[in-house]
Amino acid sequence: MSSPTVASPHLANPRMARFDPLERILYFDDFDEGTHGWTAHIGNYEGSLDTLLAPYSDLRPAQLSNLTMWDVGSMGAMDGTYALKLATRPTPGHMAILIKRQTWRELADVRFEAYLAYKPEPRELVLGELDVRAFGVGFDLQDDTTRWMPQYRFLNAEDGKPAAGDATDQASRTTPRGKWQQRDETSVFHTIGGSGSTVSHWHLPDEGWHDVLGGTQVMCYNEIPTKVNWFYLRVDLDLRNRRVSRLQCNDLVLGRDPLEYIAFPAMPNLRGMLNAFVWVQTDTAKRALLYVDSVVMSTGAAS
Amino acid sequence: MRQSHTAVVARNERWAGAVETEPYEVAWAREAIWFLRVLEPPMGPPGGTVRVQVSPDGLYWCDEGSALALPTDPDVPTFVRVRRFGGWLRLAGTLPDGMQATVIAYLVLKS
Repeated sequence: MSSPTVASPHLANPRMARFDPLERILYFDDFDEGTHGWTAHIGNYEGSLDTLLAPYSDLRPAQLSNLTMWDVGSMGAMDGTYALKLATRPTPGHMAILIKRQTWRELADVRFEAYLAYKPEPRELVLGELDVRAFGVGFDLQDDTTRWMPQYRFLNAEDGKPAAGDATDQASRTTPRGKWQQRDETSVFHTIGGSGSTVSHWHLPDEGWHDVLGGTQVMCYNEIPTKVNWFYLRVDLDLRNRRVSRLQCNDLVLGRDPLEYIAFPAMPNLRGMLNAFVWVQTDTAKRALLYVDSVVMSTGAAS
Repeated sequence: MRQSHTAVVARNERWAGAVETEPYEVAWAREAIWFLRVLEPPMGPPGGTVRVQVSPDGLYWCDEGSALALPTDPDVPTFVRVRRFGGWLRLAGTLPDGMQATVIAYLVLKS
């Protein structure tokens, strides 16, 4: 008796089988092969870098990491040796953001999938499970009439406290519970420089986040800062109807009610934008690190 | 084809006194060039230098042996070539009393 043929061809590809892509893969970024277009986010400026809005002035560059730990050496990525790495400064509230800039060929369904891991820098020999404030995923999209920005963050801890309290259902001790959040407003638009043609807005302020219903989650942080576990993240976007139908982190699936996003009138020079970004933020005077093993962006578009 | 990558590890930073760049992971690279550019003429006495440092873990650092002078002319960067550096690189140093420079630092890597 012969074994059944794999129904979905990508499941027979060991590099792709961990993803659930839509029909057409727009990009598959395995960071063993470089940064694949993921680059440091920066705000708009004119004449001088001093015109950058303060939150944009010191976002950190992309790194490729082999996850070397001081106590056990190199761990490598989930697949292969290297992962994309974001690292904040050791300043409470500081953020690192990496972005990949694309455009769409057709307004259609788009799916973002990634395998990630977050950790504080293992500078202290303590658990550190509340050192990372948040990590998140976002998109910057524009069609003929509207620019819209879905942005979702996992708030792990704030001011040293678990974002959603302690879960007490694990045997030996309490474990912190975080929560997924969304937002529907950016911050004030500022005119940059003197020409009148440059504006800027900070789209990830600490204020203005709303809890996603059912969005509390206990993550596999593990037990010391040098033990790193990877997890799956997915966001489903409908570019035609400006709808976000699914936010998934491992077994937590959100989006029965459409998820919130920022929306405002279309802006000059941005039609067709299909940008994706990820970020991490520290809650303490310790660097927060986000590792991305791989990313797949896929679409149901016919062309 | 060889891999290459340029990281801007400091951008529009005001340097004075003791300075150090953030740790940067370079395990994949075989060779590097550090470039320093000042965005305006430095204030105070000239003569500042920063040292290249390496690290086994990104936490503890030692001098690699190379050093890099701070530029004096915004149009002329300074640079230093580095090889066989392991997994991490950064710059560290102490500028002369009274010196202040606004810098952009590039780490240009190649496999």
